[in-house]
Amino acid sequence: MTPALVLAGITKRFGGLQAVQDVTAEIASGQITGLIGPNGAGKTTIFRIISGAMRPTAGRIVFGDREITGWSPHAVCRLGICLTHQIVRPFPDLTVLENVLVSASFGSGGRLRHSAGAEAEAVLEFTGLIARRDLPASALTLAERKRLEIARALATRPSVLLLDEVLAGLNPAESQRAVELVRQVKARGVTIFMIEHVMRAVMALSDRVLVINHGRLIADGPPAHVADLPQVIEAYLGKRLEG
Amino acid sequence: MPAARASLPSAFGLVLLLALVPVLAPGNITLLNLGFLTFLYVAQGVAWNILGGFAGYVSFGYAAFYGLGAYTTALLWLAGWPPLLTYPAAGLVAAAFSLIVGGPTLRLTGPYFSIATIGVGEAMRILMLNLDRITGGASGLNLPTAVPSKAWFYLLALLIAAAAFTVAALVRRSPFGLGLQALRMDLEAAEGLGVRTALFKNLAHTLSAFIVGACGGLYATYLQFVHPDTVFSFTQSISLVLITLIGGIGTLWGPVLGAAVFYAVQDYLQTSYPTFHLLVYGVLLILILLFEPRGLVGLAGRLWRPLAAAVSRGQAGAGAGRTG
Amino acid sequence: MFSAENLISVGIAALLTAGLYAIMSYGLAIIYGVMKVINLSNAGFLMLGAFLALVYFQRWHLDPVLGAFVNLPIFFAAGWIVHRLLVRRVVTALPIASLLLLFGLWLVLQNLALAVWGGEDQSIITAYTYKALPVFGFRIPVTRLIVFGVALVVLSILHFALGHTYLGKALRATVQDPVAGLLVGIDTEQINAMAFGLGTAFAGFAGGLLTLLFSFNPDFGGTFQLKSFTIIVLGGLENLAGVTVGAAILAFAESYAVLFMRASLQNVIAYALLVVALIVMPGGVAQLLSRRRT
Repeated sequence: MTPALVLAGITKRFGGLQAVQDVTAEIASGQITGLIGPNGAGKTTIFRIISGAMRPTAGRIVFGDREITGWSPHAVCRLGICLTHQIVRPFPDLTVLENVLVSASFGSGGRLRHSAGAEAEAVLEFTGLIARRDLPASALTLAERKRLEIARALATRPSVLLLDEVLAGLNPAESQRAVELVRQVKARGVTIFMIEHVMRAVMALSDRVLVINHGRLIADGPPAHVADLPQVIEAYLGKRLEG
Repeated sequence: MPAARASLPSAFGLVLLLALVPVLAPGNITLLNLGFLTFLYVAQGVAWNILGGFAGYVSFGYAAFYGLGAYTTALLWLAGWPPLLTYPAAGLVAAAFSLIVGGPTLRLTGPYFSIATIGVGEAMRILMLNLDRITGGASGLNLPTAVPSKAWFYLLALLIAAAAFTVAALVRRSPFGLGLQALRMDLEAAEGLGVRTALFKNLAHTLSAFIVGACGGLYATYLQFVHPDTVFSFTQSISLVLITLIGGIGTLWGPVLGAAVFYAVQDYLQTSYPTFHLLVYGVLLILILLFEPRGLVGLAGRLWRPLAAAVSRGQAGAGAGRTG
Repeated sequence: MFSAENLISVGIAALLTAGLYAIMSYGLAIIYGVMKVINLSNAGFLMLGAFLALVYFQRWHLDPVLGAFVNLPIFFAAGWIVHRLLVRRVVTALPIASLLLLFGLWLVLQNLALAVWGGEDQSIITAYTYKALPVFGFRIPVTRLIVFGVALVVLSILHFALGHTYLGKALRATVQDPVAGLLVGIDTEQINAMAFGLGTAFAGFAGGLLTLLFSFNPDFGGTFQLKSFTIIVLGGLENLAGVTVGAAILAFAESYAVLFMRASLQNVIAYALLVVALIVMPGGVAQLLSRRRT
């Protein structure tokens, strides 16, 4: 089966800093692929490169049969890849409904207004935000804002959803709800690529896990297998002391 | 938001009322002049607001469009065109120029865009001053052709203002308007959700430039004289900024209120120093930025709510008295 | 037209102008660098500096150069107050808000001056206003030499202060990273107030000096302000040392351009450079240089 997304030799340098080094991986269609690694390893940078917010210094990104390296973010979004942000960015003075209307109207090749409205409401139902639809986004709690972030992305009818730390800052109950939501999104057939630090969630949700350290891909495989790899343990915990 | 729905009908009613003025007071030239200028500035403020208020790109250089419009009309009129036909042409020339400067400058973020527009506006003024063969340079261009009545100007300006307001209202309700607001609040997030931010910014810019250019043309006909230091002046540019900010940036009625106040104040203070009204606006601007960023519209909103609540409480009390 | 003598004479004029431009732009650069605020009221203070120098001259026969120095503490205090009362309250909002606020202040200052002094051109004529000195065989107006000399001295003191005093280092640190500055114990609130005070002081100082070279009215300041922006963008927006470089580039570009075009078009150079620099190299010349290294 063709992978949804192929990263080929993705490299990013910021002046003297090598943020991402030669990352090559395939993101399988319809699955949940986790992206883990210590802080500052380059995970969000990879996401930003995929979404078009940043150009790679070298390497290619292939979506289905199209090369999308260097495409602008709005074009990438319309093609079917949507990114949610680690630090949520709702449009503060727009209502919850209007927030989703933005992406519903423009995200997937553009649509007529009345159909975008219906799409937006459907997504709000799905993410459990319909009761809050007329509130300004600035009035939402963090957990609700995270759900809004996902709702906005879903309204673009993505085939690939890039989730950047959706669980960060959530209490256990909210986390549970978020994990459920991710599973439901997968059930709709959306390919999910997610950065996460909450290990239990990543291991439980992912079909496959990529591990990044210092910008390099150091492991790629099923969660249980990857968790036991020495280089992965070392990346998080450091080298075992001799003796 | 429900208020927005009522905007077009109430605007329509207002326009009808105002259109009656030349009928009811035909000889009152002062009133017709004041009306003309106010409507002209309502149109420009409303147009400016599309880029400055909805999209959040505050331009201090719209005089470039006004001036280009004025000179386009002037030159075409001198060449024999009927004035009415020159106004769309004026708008088109201004729009074309806005595409040329907008493309690169709109890539700059907020304050840098603003500074760049000051540069563009002033550069245009100096260039036009120096292109004497075309523009008449420092002596300006006299337009000695026959001119319609004051009532004609009044009504045409009213029409343009109404048209501009309608355009702004339609934009605000449309997906385009939503996109503009989204990109104002978070450009990167909007871009990532499929909003073609560069296209939308330039569209807003060009649309508003067209309107302002047409207004410039109308003004040239009215004054029968164009000079770079009037139509291309920095004061002209900042008038639009002031009108919209004082009235309420980003709101629909803001520029309308702002223009009305602007001209009322200017007229009232005319007897004092020639630019005293600018002092008042400077102070108003500071006060607004410190205390009520949504300008007069925001202030009105603040006063309206307790008033409306008091009214409904009063009515409930009266009703209870009757049934009890 | 392009004789060696002419070229050198233009070059000298450019150099002298560069000194003035640098002094004029430092105020803006400091405020921008530390607070990331674009101070449109700079023009107003520049103009007031000139008018106050006029007042000192008319009342107490104080030489404008001394007048400029007198302005320093007065305008520092004014800047401090403006920051306390006005700027501090909007700095947290959108960056455009502080720009607009200071624009409003500029309008107020400009029109207050109009109300007090009227709109006619004013100038300060001293005993040496029309004198010129022979330097390397060229006759150079004394006023230009004085302004350049003073600018040089003040810039050197500034450079020393920035490098060797606590305040200077704190300022530079805040320019580079305000959060890190907070972490190492710099009171950024105080530094902001200091920066605004200093920036305004420089504006008043430069205004006083400018009276030696130009006549002025309340509208005076706008053009200089735009040139100052051009200079700080050319020098690199957060690069305090770059201001001198930017000043030199603009001064030389303007001076030599007059050999090719009408004098009345001279200001267009500054505006064109501003727009181009903002779009093409916002990091200024420094950015161009560092790009070549990597």
